[in-house]
Amino acid sequence: MDLGSILQIVFTGLIMGSIYALVAVGLNLIYGTMRLLNIAHGEIIMIGAYVAYWLFTAYGVSPFFSLILSSFVTIVIGLIICKIIFLPMIRSGKSEESIQSNALLLFFAISIILTNVVILIWTADIRGYSYLTGVVQILKVPVMLNRLNAFLVALVICVIAYFFLQKTMLGKAIRALIQERTAAKLVGINSDRLYLVSFMMAFGIAGLTGALLSMIYELSPFMGFPYTITAFVVIILGGLGNVLGSLIAGFIFGFVETVGISVTSPGLQSIISYGVFIGVILYRPKGIFGKGL
Amino acid sequence: MTTSKLGKYLSGLGLLGLVIFLCVIPFYSTDYIVSVLLDILTWIGLTQSWIILSGFTGYISLGHSAFFGIGAYVMAILWLKLPYPLIILISAMSSMTLAFAIGFPVLRVRGPYFVILTLGLSEFAKYIFINYEVNVKGTVGRILLGVPNIRTLYFSLLIIAIVTILCAYLIKRSRFGYGLFSIKEDEDAAESLGIDTSIYKWLALGISAFFPGAIGATMALRRTYIDPYSVFDPIVSFQIIVMAFFGGIGKLHGPVLGACILTLISEFFWARYPHYYLIILGVILVFIVKIMPSGILGIFDLFGKAGKVVKFVRRK
Repeated sequence: MDLGSILQIVFTGLIMGSIYALVAVGLNLIYGTMRLLNIAHGEIIMIGAYVAYWLFTAYGVSPFFSLILSSFVTIVIGLIICKIIFLPMIRSGKSEESIQSNALLLFFAISIILTNVVILIWTADIRGYSYLTGVVQILKVPVMLNRLNAFLVALVICVIAYFFLQKTMLGKAIRALIQERTAAKLVGINSDRLYLVSFMMAFGIAGLTGALLSMIYELSPFMGFPYTITAFVVIILGGLGNVLGSLIAGFIFGFVETVGISVTSPGLQSIISYGVFIGVILYRPKGIFGKGL
Repeated sequence: MTTSKLGKYLSGLGLLGLVIFLCVIPFYSTDYIVSVLLDILTWIGLTQSWIILSGFTGYISLGHSAFFGIGAYVMAILWLKLPYPLIILISAMSSMTLAFAIGFPVLRVRGPYFVILTLGLSEFAKYIFINYEVNVKGTVGRILLGVPNIRTLYFSLLIIAIVTILCAYLIKRSRFGYGLFSIKEDEDAAESLGIDTSIYKWLALGISAFFPGAIGATMALRRTYIDPYSVFDPIVSFQIIVMAFFGGIGKLHGPVLGACILTLISEFFWARYPHYYLIILGVILVFIVKIMPSGILGIFDLFGKAGKVVKFVRRK
C-alpha cells in the first residue's frame, strides 16, 4: 500500500468520523438527559435529507441554506413529539424502567410512521442530486468538494456543541442533568424545560446532518436505521453525555469502517458496522474510556 | 364457585368447537378465505412465540424476523430434497439452535440495550444472507417450485399455531413459567431466590425461536419466492409487537385477539395501501403504549370491573 492510498483512507476516515460524531451528538443529548433511546434518530436524519433534496430540486434552494431549513423542520417535529408524547410520560412518575421500554416502542412506532410517510410522499425510489462535485487536491490526494464541505461543517457544529455544553449556563445545566438527575433538580434546574431544549437541539442537529448527507449520498426512506446503529456504537464507545468522547469515538469508528472496507470490499460495509455494533454492546458496554452509563 | 367451573368447561368447549371449525372450514370455503385464515394463523403463531420470551420475561425482542428468515431460508435450501414436514422441523430446529448459540452473551445485556441489540442482530443476519446470495451464489433470491397447495399449508400452520399456543399455555402454568415471570418482575431478586435466571432466559429464547423458524419455513412455500430483504424484514418484528401489545401482553388470549383483528384490518389495506397500513399500525402502537397499556383486553377488564361495581352497589 503506497502513501497515496493510506492518505486516502485517512481522509475518508476523517470525513466519515466527523459525520458519525455529529450523528451521535444528537442521540447522546436525548439519551443523556432523558434516558430515552431514540431509535427514530436515523429517520429524523432521513427527513432532514429529504427536505433539503426537495427544496433543492423543486425550488433551487441552496443546500447550505437548507442546513437551517431542514433543522427547522425537524425541530418542529421534535417539539411536537416531545410535548405530546414524551414530556407527559416523564412527568407521569412511572418507574424509569417502564418509561424506558415504553419509549423504545414509541420511537420504534415513530420511525415506522416517518419512513412510510416519506414513502407516500416521495416513493421508495432512491433519489439524489449533484452538488459541489468538484475535486480538490490535498497532499496530492483528490478529495471531492462536497465531502470536504461535510467534514468542515460537521466539525464546526461539533465544536459549537462542545463549547455550548462546556461554557454556557444552559449547557452546564444540561451536563448536570446528564450526570445526576436528582441532584440537578435539587439545585433548582428546571428539568422539564431542559428536556425540551435538548430534545429540540438533538432533532435540529439530526435535521442538519440529514441536509449535509443529502449533498453526498443518495437518499432512500430506509437510509435512517444504519445511522441510528452507528450513533449508538459511537455513544457507547465515547461515553454517555460525553460530547468530546463522541467526537473521538466517531473518528475511531470512521477509521475502523474505512479500513475494514478497504481491506475487504464495499459490499461488506453493513456487515462490518453491525458486527462492530454487536461486538461493542456485548464486550465493551461501558465504552473505551471505561466510565459512563 | 360452580359458575366459574361451568365457565371453564364452556370456554373449553368453545375452544374445541373453534378448533373443529378451523379444521373443517377449508373444505367448504374459497381459496381467498383460506388464505386470510392462513395469515391469521401465521400471526397468531408468531405473536404467541414472541410472548414466550418477551411477554413472560420482559426482554422485548425486536429480532424475531431473524428466526422467521432463517426458517424460510432453510426451507428454500432443502426444498424437494427431503419430505416437507421434515424440512419444517429442521427449519425450526436450526432457528432454535441459532438462538441457543447466541443466547448466553446476548441475554446478559439488559433493558433498552437488549432491545436495540436484537434489532441490530436481525439486521446483521439480513446482510449476511444478502452477501451470501450476491457474492457466493450470484443470485438475489430463491424461487420454490412445486409447492404444496394452500390447504396443505393451512393445516401445517394450524398445527404449528395450536402447538405454539399449547406450549405457551403449559409454560405459563409451569414452575418454569413462574420463574420467567419473576425475571420480569425483578431479575436480581429472582436470582437471589435461587432461580437460575440465565438458564431460564436461555431456554425461553430457544423455545421462542423454534416456532418462528417453522412458520418462516411454511411461509416460504406460501410465497414461492423469497429474498433476504423480504424474509428478514424488520416489519415482521414490528407487526408481531404491535399485535401483541394491541391485544394486551398480560394474557395469552390478548395477542391472539390482536393478531386476528389486525390481520383482518391489514387484509383490507395491505393490497392497495400498504404504507397507510403501516402508518396506522404505528399510530395504534403509540396509542396503546400511551393510553391503554393493557391492550384491548384492558377495555374488557374495565367492563368487568364496572359490572362488579354495579353488582356491589345493587347489593347495598
